[in-house]
Amino acid sequence: MIRCMRLVPALVRFSTARVMAYRAEMVIWILSASLPLVMLALWNAVAAEGPIAGMGQGEMARYFAATLLVNQLTGVWIVWQLNYEIRTGLLSTQLLRPVHPLWHNAVWMMTALPIRALVMLPILGALLAWRPDLWVRPDPLMLPVFALSVAMAWALAFLVQATFAILSFWLDQSIGLFGVWYSGWALLSGYVAPLALFPDWAQRPLRFSPFRAMLGLPVELLGGFVSPREVGLDLAVQAGWVLGALVLVRVLWRRGLRHYGAYGA
Amino acid sequence: MVGALARVSLLIAMQYRSDFVFNGLTGLLRTAALVGPLLLVFQHRETVSGWTGPEATLVMALFLLLSSMTGALMEPNLGAVVEHIRRGTLDLVLLKPADAQLLVSLSRVEPSRLWDLPAALLLGGWALAQMPAPSPWGVIGAIIAVLSGLAAMYGLWLLAICTSFYFVQVDNLRFLLMSASEAGRWPLSLFSGWLRVVLLVAVPVGVVTTLPAELLRGRGSWEMVATAVAVGTGFLVVSRLAWRRALASYTSASS
Repeated sequence: MIRCMRLVPALVRFSTARVMAYRAEMVIWILSASLPLVMLALWNAVAAEGPIAGMGQGEMARYFAATLLVNQLTGVWIVWQLNYEIRTGLLSTQLLRPVHPLWHNAVWMMTALPIRALVMLPILGALLAWRPDLWVRPDPLMLPVFALSVAMAWALAFLVQATFAILSFWLDQSIGLFGVWYSGWALLSGYVAPLALFPDWAQRPLRFSPFRAMLGLPVELLGGFVSPREVGLDLAVQAGWVLGALVLVRVLWRRGLRHYGAYGA
Repeated sequence: MVGALARVSLLIAMQYRSDFVFNGLTGLLRTAALVGPLLLVFQHRETVSGWTGPEATLVMALFLLLSSMTGALMEPNLGAVVEHIRRGTLDLVLLKPADAQLLVSLSRVEPSRLWDLPAALLLGGWALAQMPAPSPWGVIGAIIAVLSGLAAMYGLWLLAICTSFYFVQVDNLRFLLMSASEAGRWPLSLFSGWLRVVLLVAVPVGVVTTLPAELLRGRGSWEMVATAVAVGTGFLVVSRLAWRRALASYTSASS
């Protein structure tokens, strides 16, 4: 662990160079994630006749502005990267390096976060100009809570994608499986619709689901939609999912690696 | 000629049968997730921007039709051309005694994406059954609009293929095109004026989704059909010219 820490500065330098080398692609990738804007147009039209589930047009704009930002801040692509490395055998080289491949990728994907957030700024500015009432002064106490929640959401996204990627040690179709997970995530995480709009019977399972822990919770925290009384439990549930995913990844990774070794790679 | 090409690419894709079935199952789940937001919207409202639930479902069904066509026919070929150019094997395609545009546009089919078609038919059929029967002119107009819109989208993808002659990394363009067309899932009247124009003329998804739905629900006009045909022809002509230009400037990897 301590040895890993000493390597961090070097890894960050290396990763930043890697991110900057593909900056044009990066921007295209980021702009591809414009679905929250489409969904905002939809819910804005729905809320035009009056608020639904307590959300008017201003709240919708605030919700989806937050979604746009949080989605960028929790963006990872480890499932494609690791799947590619496993399929092509590139992983063998990665394993020779002094840093665990998962750490290596984690640092790489974290260094992309500032750029991702920067590219969002003009879009968020345009949203603010379009609907100034989306801005509310954030509660200073909530900001560290939000930061913690985003960090956990990022970690959970990374670990879930890593889980699906590790499945490619055994399966050819791990990317397809991830596609199924992704569609479920898109619907149930709050990405296409605020979770408050779901029917009553779905509220409890949605609140404690891993999908909300990956996106909805930090979005609601940033937008000020979570009552302070609920924050503690919500964060605890989120931490629980992160821990669970961490254990799962560790176990699967060990077993997968043994299986991978059997190829003689 | 087209038939022969389609058969060969189908054969290639059918070599992986279990993948085909697996992709079918995942495709069904993906479709279910697409319909989710529709259910949510119309649980809260009777109409949105003048569209009822079934009418909006019809737009969604037309979008599924489009995305299955793009996924099955257009997207894999864009990838194939990029690969050809990078490896220099495009020369072999150009040497074949047939129109290269045809060969390039139909060299690969991804049949698993055709799984979206039954879902599109089911959703569309349900939606039409809930709506008052469309007039015969409406049906004819809608068919013309869908075909023109598909032609226009093909033109757009061919244009994307053409850019790969100048820039190597257009793989990412694919994601941009796909996410831009996502907006076509919803009736265009949800969007503000300039975005509506973009979705009709620049990324012409609206021609495949909203225009036919308008015609089928009896709000259409002959101007809509004319727009559709104009956009379709425009994209076909422009992309053909761009293809010629791109080929003329192509210096193969081997020469």
